[in-house]
Amino acid sequence: MIYTLRHLTTYRYARPVHFARCGLRLRLTDDEGQTVLASTLTISPEPRHRTERRDHFGLDVTSIIIDTPHTELRVEALSRVRVERPSMPAPETGPAWERIRDEALRSRSLAPDAPIHYLFPSPRVSLVPDVTDYARSSFPSGRSALGGAYDLMQRIRRDFRFDAKATSVRTPLEEAFALRAGVCQDFAHIMIAGLRGLGIPSAYVSGYLRTIPPAGQPRLRGADASHAWVSVWCGDGWIGLDPTNGIAMCDDHIVVARGRDYTDVSPIDGIVSSSGAQKLKVEVDVIPDGEPMPEATVTVEAERV
Amino acid sequence: MTDAAEAEVSGRAERLARWTSGYRPHPDVPDAFMDASGRPREAWTRVLDRLGDLTEVDIAARFVSAVRHIRDTGISYRIYGDNREHAWPLGSLPFVVEADDWQALSAGIVERAELMEAILADIYGPNRLVADGLLPAAVVAGSPEFMRPVAGIVPPGGRFLKLYAADVTRGPDGQWQVLADRTQSPSGPGYALENRMVLTRAFPDLYTDLHVERLAPFFQTLRQALADGAQRSDPRICLLTSGPFSSTYVEQAVLARYLGLLLVEGDDLVMQDGALHVRTVSGLKRADALWRRIDSDYVDPLELNPASRLGVPGLLEALRNGNLVVGNMPGSGILESGALAAYLPGIARRLTGGELRLSGPRTFWCGDPDSLVHVRDHLDALTLRPVATPPKGEARDAIMGPLAFGADRDRLVAALRDRPFDYVAQERMPLATTPGWDRTGGTLRLVPRPFALRVFATITPDGWRVMPGGFCRISERPDLDPGEMRAGIKAADVWIMSNGPVEPVPLIQPGAQKVRRIAGHLPSRAADNLFWFGRYVERAEAVIRLAGAHLGGVGAAVNAYLVSDARSPTSLRIRALLDDWGAISNPNLSTATLAREALSGHGTYGSALRHSLSARANAAILRERLSGEAWRVLADLTDLLDIGDGRAYSEAELVGLVERGLGLMAALAGLAKENMIRTTGWHFVDLGRRIERVINTCTFATHFAGDAATADDLGVMLSLCDSHIAFGARYMQGAALDPVRDMVLLDPFNPRSVAFQIEAIGRHLANLPTLRADGLPEPHQRLAAKLAAEFSTGEAADFDEAAIARLGHDFERLADAIATRYFPNAPNALRPEKLVGLG
Repeated sequence: MIYTLRHLTTYRYARPVHFARCGLRLRLTDDEGQTVLASTLTISPEPRHRTERRDHFGLDVTSIIIDTPHTELRVEALSRVRVERPSMPAPETGPAWERIRDEALRSRSLAPDAPIHYLFPSPRVSLVPDVTDYARSSFPSGRSALGGAYDLMQRIRRDFRFDAKATSVRTPLEEAFALRAGVCQDFAHIMIAGLRGLGIPSAYVSGYLRTIPPAGQPRLRGADASHAWVSVWCGDGWIGLDPTNGIAMCDDHIVVARGRDYTDVSPIDGIVSSSGAQKLKVEVDVIPDGEPMPEATVTVEAERV
Repeated sequence: MTDAAEAEVSGRAERLARWTSGYRPHPDVPDAFMDASGRPREAWTRVLDRLGDLTEVDIAARFVSAVRHIRDTGISYRIYGDNREHAWPLGSLPFVVEADDWQALSAGIVERAELMEAILADIYGPNRLVADGLLPAAVVAGSPEFMRPVAGIVPPGGRFLKLYAADVTRGPDGQWQVLADRTQSPSGPGYALENRMVLTRAFPDLYTDLHVERLAPFFQTLRQALADGAQRSDPRICLLTSGPFSSTYVEQAVLARYLGLLLVEGDDLVMQDGALHVRTVSGLKRADALWRRIDSDYVDPLELNPASRLGVPGLLEALRNGNLVVGNMPGSGILESGALAAYLPGIARRLTGGELRLSGPRTFWCGDPDSLVHVRDHLDALTLRPVATPPKGEARDAIMGPLAFGADRDRLVAALRDRPFDYVAQERMPLATTPGWDRTGGTLRLVPRPFALRVFATITPDGWRVMPGGFCRISERPDLDPGEMRAGIKAADVWIMSNGPVEPVPLIQPGAQKVRRIAGHLPSRAADNLFWFGRYVERAEAVIRLAGAHLGGVGAAVNAYLVSDARSPTSLRIRALLDDWGAISNPNLSTATLAREALSGHGTYGSALRHSLSARANAAILRERLSGEAWRVLADLTDLLDIGDGRAYSEAELVGLVERGLGLMAALAGLAKENMIRTTGWHFVDLGRRIERVINTCTFATHFAGDAATADDLGVMLSLCDSHIAFGARYMQGAALDPVRDMVLLDPFNPRSVAFQIEAIGRHLANLPTLRADGLPEPHQRLAAKLAAEFSTGEAADFDEAAIARLGHDFERLADAIATRYFPNAPNALRPEKLVGLG
């Protein structure tokens, strides 16, 4: 499947911003089963300074400095990407989780995708005994790591309520866990905390999910949104699991970035010099090849999935 | 021998016997004074031999004067999580090490520092140690001090470490042992310096006679190390502090002053054009080198901890560009990880081909299956603790004490089940002892006390150099861990006894420093603090004068301007103004209670005491810029005003308080005038004082020289402006409105008049740096010039009550305009704000 992706972020400021220094993680990178065909990043106002570097997790970071006074900052990422993933191995196959844990611990690599980076607490994923105990019941002794992780994913899908009002982008995972509610970010963090609590390396993946418009209706512009799921280390590679939808990563998932948690992959991070309030708007379109660009516009104010 | 001399000698012998006869080291614990066979060591014998010349009273007296110096210079420390400052608890006994013994320790420290540098270069570089299995990847990746964005950066100047420290003790065999390596940002060298300064004050001749090694050359080397690798030849070196609430802020201020570094907070720095700059009153100035005294994670909110308010966004970018030297490099703290100690011997064998000269207690990382078995089998003999201790938001300087896990075995076993690799276990080691004074039972004697010694090394082009001294903490109780400064722990100067005489060395080699008269550009934040220091001092004075006028005490010598009749209109006006200023809680109090509140109230935010405390708080931030004398006068002022809630004070006593308070104010003004170098900083202090004075004088004039002012009012006005004597000399008859207004507002010869202040303000502003290249005045300069013209051309009759009130507002606007122009936190200044991204 080939997709055209559009990710438009707009910040509006009550008073002019004179200086902004940002790091952008919006460029897609090649991944297993995913090839980036084209990718552009358009920023307005034009940055005075723009550099590209690859961060420790192998992500492309665009660092920009804007020093023209502005009341609106627009960042538009446009990409074309081909996604053809191998299907996931059957859940109850592969090595036992205890073996995965011990081998990960003995590994001798600090490379960006080395499992060892994803074994420890990270800024947004603290290890919570209650969450570890919740995960434990999916991992009886000797069960395959993949089987246990798949089961944990399905339990989260069952036990947790999707509710964008229940949490915010800053809610700690303990709170979302206690509420048994939240959005994709919360579910991913909770699942990661449970897996790591047992010693199984797991990563946070940010990206997009293709949505199917209701039958007979056209695709609305900006109706899609960014998404997050989990990547679990299964001994000889990473397997994507989406606890929000209770499914394995498939050709509908498009990967933007993989990191220890949300902080490592947050799409726009930065500092602006301003004395007023700011308003944020995000529009995302995921358009499969052959479908026309949508015409009508939906404005989604700070929505999260 | 004369009788007196003989008595002295026998007194001396008796004293020494009394001090040492009962000294018994603990069994199996090495002691600095007595060796295993109970024989005194040579170095301590020499020290006691000299100390014995002094009577106990002598020692105490000398030491008391040194301790007073500590209070006067404001050396203090904070306990983490505690807002109070504690006076520095220095003990009168040194920690003594013999030259040969020290040599052995130094060689081991140098070896260890080299090893640490090599490991850092590998961890943030090619990762060979991990690939070769000498260092588990999990030990690196699992450390919260592993700064991933630093990986791949080659430190400008080629060094990760500029200053290395180790906490050492003596093992059961008497050999030196390393308890902990300090690579993040070792604290303590400033304390070592202060301890030395104080003790040399108390016992000046002892140092020379006993051949104690000097510290000054080490600090000169340290300064060079910090600058090494900078691009410019005369680099600007900044000490990056987390601010006055850091537990070691005073130490940082001492070091900045001693080494001539700019003490800065994150807000003082800004990245521009790929390089780091300091915000100064003269604009942005390049910062070439940074001594980092905040934790790595906090240095750059853009690439590291986004919640940090202490760092500089983009700082890592400057490091990548090679435009900045930082000591120690962000990420250096990873070597403090407890788990690393388990792998040091193996790494040393690989890198140096031999065994480490200095070993430490045996350490086991529980992520290793064999180690885990050992730990489970020997739990009772080990101290277990998490590898990643929670960060405290401040350079970690405590030696971590044993966690009391032993009591809760179940919890321990559970912790080791899911994630054993999060724990590290260490053999327990009793702390060695050194002599300390004990006074139990009324007689002074020496007893063995546990100590922790921190030694420092800095890098030179020829290798590492160890400070011949250190920072020692001695516990007053056998059960107290001297790893952290707190009640019951005393600091000690560390004496390395050279085998021969020690050459006196000046800090600066002749010819090594260029002559210059300007100390450098004043950081905007320091200017802000200096300005407010001046304003608070003046504000305190105004309240003291007003309280004095209320008591009828000030000016009483000249004439009977007594207004202590609580119902007189003048008295009511004074009460109303004190109430306006928030100096009193209620205008209807009795005269004495009201004056007491205005002077000494803790609960009234406008009292003289509260203003002087504010001045002191500002001064605390400026410690590296303020003389010891000024600090002492400020301390005296707050001590004087802080009379507490105890007994009642009579009006006469309160008048005495006012007079002494004004005396100290004069002393402070005199110090500023006579002792402070006329740099930009001085201009800001004086500017603050004078602006505050004009604003207060205008307020006084609207109250006591208003259109309907009575003779009593005018008398108060003159006394508030300290002008009654001059007035009496000029006008033989009583006070009339226009002459009084002329004297307090317009007379350019009266140093208390508004006209006099505004002339001074104009001179200060002319001396401050301008940001305009076209020579045109900036807004605050235009406002000051306009006000000056009004005063130099006006006549007393022009200045009615309404005009004076308007001028008062104009002066407040002038103060705001100065703030906007020069200070970083002015109301209109742009503040950095976080962008909030969405998932």
